[in-house]
Amino acid sequence: MKKNFSALSILLFLALVLLPAVPAHAQCKLGVPSIKVGVQGAASGPHADYGRQIEMGATMAAEEINAAGGILGCKVETRFMDDENKAATGVKNARLLVTDWGAHFTVGTDSSGVAMAMGPVLAELKRIHFFTHAATHRLTEELVAAKHIKEIVRVSVPIYQDAIIAALIFKDRKDIKRWANIGADYEYGYVAWNLFKETLKKHRPDVEFVGEAWAPFLTLDFSPHISAVMAQKPDAIFATPWAGEAVQLLRQALIQGVFDNVQVWWQAMGGSVDVLEGISAEVQKDRFKGKLWATARYIHNWPDTPENKSFIERYRKRWARFPNYSAETTYSALFIMKAAVEKARSLETAKVIDAMKGMQIRNPGGLRVFRSEDQQFIYNVPAGRPVMDAKYPIPVLGDLKVFQAKDYYRHPPFTPVAVTK
Amino acid sequence: MENIAFQGLIGLSLAMYLWLISAGLTIIFGVLGIVNFAHGSLFMVGAYLAYTCYGPMGLPFPVAILLSLLGTGLLGFVMERGFLSRIYGIDEAYQLLLTFGFILILDDAVKMIWGGVFKIPPIPAFLDGAVPVFGRFFPVYNLFVIAVGLLVAVVLWLVFEKTWWGRIVRATAADREMAGAIGVNVPRVFSGVFVVGAMLAALGGAIGIPVRVVAPGIGAAMIIQAFIITVIGGLGNLKGAFVSSLIVGILSAYGTLFFPVFELFFIFVIMAVVLLVRPQGLFTR
Repeated sequence: MKKNFSALSILLFLALVLLPAVPAHAQCKLGVPSIKVGVQGAASGPHADYGRQIEMGATMAAEEINAAGGILGCKVETRFMDDENKAATGVKNARLLVTDWGAHFTVGTDSSGVAMAMGPVLAELKRIHFFTHAATHRLTEELVAAKHIKEIVRVSVPIYQDAIIAALIFKDRKDIKRWANIGADYEYGYVAWNLFKETLKKHRPDVEFVGEAWAPFLTLDFSPHISAVMAQKPDAIFATPWAGEAVQLLRQALIQGVFDNVQVWWQAMGGSVDVLEGISAEVQKDRFKGKLWATARYIHNWPDTPENKSFIERYRKRWARFPNYSAETTYSALFIMKAAVEKARSLETAKVIDAMKGMQIRNPGGLRVFRSEDQQFIYNVPAGRPVMDAKYPIPVLGDLKVFQAKDYYRHPPFTPVAVTK
Repeated sequence: MENIAFQGLIGLSLAMYLWLISAGLTIIFGVLGIVNFAHGSLFMVGAYLAYTCYGPMGLPFPVAILLSLLGTGLLGFVMERGFLSRIYGIDEAYQLLLTFGFILILDDAVKMIWGGVFKIPPIPAFLDGAVPVFGRFFPVYNLFVIAVGLLVAVVLWLVFEKTWWGRIVRATAADREMAGAIGVNVPRVFSGVFVVGAMLAALGGAIGIPVRVVAPGIGAAMIIQAFIITVIGGLGNLKGAFVSSLIVGILSAYGTLFFPVFELFFIFVIMAVVLLVRPQGLFTR
């Protein structure tokens, strides 16, 4: 009896003394307790769904990576912070995530304004931020290609999607000569409109740009903007307010009878899940009369690949929602990070960036190819018209127009685009 | 010419939203002497309550608005009786702190209750569609907003100018000690006025839910405009708030039409000019 007891106590002793001596991260080949990924997005206000979707995408990616053994045996840990769509908050969060929490990488960011403010700070913090929504071309064309801030990597397609694709689709519509703009009143809206005009003018010297109205964030009433541009009798509207603001803009346009008077309404990021949910009743009743066109930085019904289908299935099971583009881009960003860290076998910025050179990676959204000059991942997303499809409970983009990325991305060396209204 | 008239009418509907929210703000200041920074939050709470009653609960839109007014009025009552009434006698800085605290609390509360994602319920059938005006299509919804705004203006004018209750309130606003001395129950008047102010904010929020999104942060967007309007009209001056709502609403609609690039400056330029020329506001004697 006594002997048994001592054997037990020796076992207990071993358990108590030896187990803590083997640290939990011993199996992590990078020598850290975990790989910490700071996540940021707008999680309040009319744009809140994007930040939520960023968080959901990051969380699901981390869960899947960890379930499959982590990155070189290291667990991935995420922490989400709301940047409130404000530059100052985004910068403050980035500092806090890196210096206080110890993030090795950061990911996310919805607004171009927030992204441009964060860029120089990332260089100072020496941490790579994978941008997964912010769209201004300047983030990669200026801050990376011209100013060489290596800490900026963009996984989501920039403003080329919002502006150049629209010009390529509508250049062949000879019936549309007069374009008017209802723009988001900040850099994103200005660049989108300028880039659209520049591209369309090249193909169609005969088109006229007849009116513009600008609406800042938190505009609740677009009626004056709509009636102001409609006073110019445009054939088509180019609109860049996004998220909840896109939904109320479209609704206010409907009740002003705009869709009886224009041929086309381009709602740049109207293919986003929250917008499609918001206009579902109107699409069902065909109130846009087939004149509404939109795109996104990923749409869940394209591409028709097993990877994408399985992603949608897992995402819906996990969150009971369809993934928005900011969810797919953030989810993919974590897998890009995983691939790069595994190749670099290091968390150092220079080595991880080096490991991304020449990277081609299959994500739910399709094949992404890393472009070194501006550290932009290249992939293509179609544009189309919101329609009901028996397979989905919410509208999806149908009548898809697919363009190859090389045909609508801007390429280095980059020429300047006006960033003012 | 038709376009100018049409834009003016659009501006009028914009003005009515501004009027509803600034009316409550200016009444509360005029009588209680409180600058209620949380007035925008009451606007937001009103919008959310109306959304819940009309959207998920499926009540008729007018009933939803009514319930939202009652709910927000109750919240206003609690705010005034439970908190604001304790600081009437002390330095004004405390009012700012307290009402600012309410902004943060209510902003977070709506996020906890309704989540961060925007809500937008369908347009009620009787307000859908457009009518031909000046050769174009004017939304029935905006006509409805104009009608409600004007109705509220008439009712407020009647109540304040023509009723016994209005006289009591005006007397209390003019001299609360004297009013108390002749037997007016001043605390009760204060509560009543604050509740009415809160309900006006709620009406401004509730009336727009099918065409404007309901989201955290919409209160902050409104409060700045409401303040500018009350400053232009003269703090505490109801007629001033009405006229300056019209000025700001209609001029900013014209700004969008004629000077799209500078439109945002308009409202601030008007305020700056008024502050320079008549710092007490257009209508304060």
